[in-house]
Amino acid sequence: MTTRRTLLASGAALLAAPAISHAQGQVTLDVLFANPSFARFFTPIAEAFTRANPSIRIAFRQPAPNYDEQHQALLRGALTNQLPDVTFPGFNRLPELARTLAPRNQIADLAPMIAAEGDAWKDANFSPRMLALGQVDGTQYGMPFNASSPIAYYNPELVRRAGGDPDSFPKDWDGIVALGGRIKAAVPEAMGVSYYINSFDSDWLWQALVQQGGGRMLNADGSIGFGGPAGQAAMALARRFVTDAGMGLIGADQNRQQFGTGGIGVIFDSPARLGVITGLVGGRFPLRTAPFPITDATNGGVPTGGNAAVILTRDAAKREAAWKYVKYSAGPEAQKVAVEMTGYLPTNQRAAGPEFLGAWYEQNPNARSAAMQADKSLPWEDYGANGPRIHRMQQEILTAVMRGDVAPESGLQRMVQQTGSMMRA
Amino acid sequence: MNRAKALAGAAFAAPAFALMLALLIGPLLVLLALSVTDYRLGAMAVKLVGLGHYAALFQDEVFQRALRNTFLYVALVLPGAVFGGLGIALLVHARVRTRSFYEVIYFLPVTSTLVAMATVWQFMLHPSLGPVSAVFAALGMAGVDLLNDPSLALGTLAMIGLWQQVGFNMVLFLAGLSAIPRDLYEAAALDGAGGGIDRFLRVTWPLLGPTTMFVTITSTIAAFKVFDTVAVLTKGGPLGSTETLLYVLYLEGFQYFRTGYAAAMTIVLLAFLIILSLLQARVIDRRVHYA
Repeated sequence: MTTRRTLLASGAALLAAPAISHAQGQVTLDVLFANPSFARFFTPIAEAFTRANPSIRIAFRQPAPNYDEQHQALLRGALTNQLPDVTFPGFNRLPELARTLAPRNQIADLAPMIAAEGDAWKDANFSPRMLALGQVDGTQYGMPFNASSPIAYYNPELVRRAGGDPDSFPKDWDGIVALGGRIKAAVPEAMGVSYYINSFDSDWLWQALVQQGGGRMLNADGSIGFGGPAGQAAMALARRFVTDAGMGLIGADQNRQQFGTGGIGVIFDSPARLGVITGLVGGRFPLRTAPFPITDATNGGVPTGGNAAVILTRDAAKREAAWKYVKYSAGPEAQKVAVEMTGYLPTNQRAAGPEFLGAWYEQNPNARSAAMQADKSLPWEDYGANGPRIHRMQQEILTAVMRGDVAPESGLQRMVQQTGSMMRA
Repeated sequence: MNRAKALAGAAFAAPAFALMLALLIGPLLVLLALSVTDYRLGAMAVKLVGLGHYAALFQDEVFQRALRNTFLYVALVLPGAVFGGLGIALLVHARVRTRSFYEVIYFLPVTSTLVAMATVWQFMLHPSLGPVSAVFAALGMAGVDLLNDPSLALGTLAMIGLWQQVGFNMVLFLAGLSAIPRDLYEAAALDGAGGGIDRFLRVTWPLLGPTTMFVTITSTIAAFKVFDTVAVLTKGGPLGSTETLLYVLYLEGFQYFRTGYAAAMTIVLLAFLIILSLLQARVIDRRVHYA
């Protein structure tokens, strides 16, 4: 008890008097992020940060191949006490990570640090919806760093051949399904619309279909929320993509490849893939994007993918340095770098302004779709420890419904029931 | 004297034994221990669940389906891998000048990384861009989708597995063929075994017994462990039709983090492999003629 109090006291002293930590000299932060390709914005941001804060050095660990492997590495690190000081877990893995690390006292609550910056700073930089993405069970464990919500990618040439106007992309699902049907009729070897929830590597696109209709996967009390009208509409729509919009059930990569060769009219994917998909298209047609159609204007939204900055170090001096780094990463300068490299939407509301990303958005209209729906960001809902298992089960039911093996209503019923039993398991 | 000899022998065997203990037996014991707990990666508390996981396995529809898929996959791959390998070896063995050329052709799939090749297969089998579907369309079977049709996907993976294994088995059979003494064929010819079929049935096939046994067992184990094509090409889908034991085990252990359950699954997989190998060794051993 005494030791804990001493620790707290010394921590408070360090926070109160930053000069002390400066006197100690250089602080090196050990940072882990996922997706090796992200080094192209993590590195310049870290360099700019060290220029502004010469006493803090950022040392990156070997990046994890993806969020799942990062999660495993963090869990192993927690057991062997080799956690990085700062890490950037995916939004869908953040709740599980926080719930595992919090009882072990290996993750920092960021609320006191945000409070120390003041409400004016908080309100100027972050919308409450954006900050909510970093909260788990009411505690602010993460500062949103990269964020994305699904957008539509379309081939204006196929739209034109189907008699549509590429400049006025449909804003509702009926319009999109009808457009898909017309594309299929005009170009029989192509797919009209492909909404590949049958093979997407997470439940992100399925959640989007429910949330845009005003539904939620889970109610506030933790019970299952997608059994209602929004879920029914989403399930019926999933089947209609196949019956009315000329969709074939193929793999997610196969979809992107086929879209790239001009064989699909409309696909839905992450704006973070803008670079990849632009590369696949390779100038075959002038690729266009559009915001995700949202049926329920008041309650509807889109699930947010991406990652949040999380502080794991327990050392008080390092925590202080880590907060500076996290704050900088979520700030407009760093966001400008990250957004320009990837197509993610900025997590900082000042970043979209004319002095930061304004000019860039003028030149890159395809990147604008993601930013246009920033105020529709909803959390990527999490079913708890069995989340990935629940996703596989749901994907199987979705595939069966889309194939026409199971009616949408009974498919939804089965999904609600099985999700419930797996959440309790 | 004998004692000293025994001690020296033990001393020589000790390093290998220690390594086996550390790398095989030790982890196996840890695995056994984990399989009776509810351990999740990163968890603070661990509860004993006894044989609960094993009981759950036999209720688990996903596991049952994976088991069926795996056996089906083995059944599809094994005959082709063994007899295909033998057939190709016989044909290649008879070549004189072109022998090494054919050896290289058939062995190439073995040397290639299956994960990289799976990406090539993914393109080949693409329902609208791939050359295979173009061939199917030309044959009047347009719309046949080998990877996305639940009734065809496992068979497609089996064909890819076969393509990979046949070359390796060919090399093993070629080694077996080269070891058969020429004079046995001459003796058989003198005894009146004239035709090629006669020679094969009386000399080649019996003398290839040990090779065939080895090839059958290794091919079974390799087929049982199918993972890379599943992970790259289908991820267990569509509708779980290509979920195999090893893939489900990977999902449980490394995606769902249910370490205890995955450990129980591994024990079951291990038991299957041991039983199968013993069974095959027993049955075939009785018929194998060791020259």
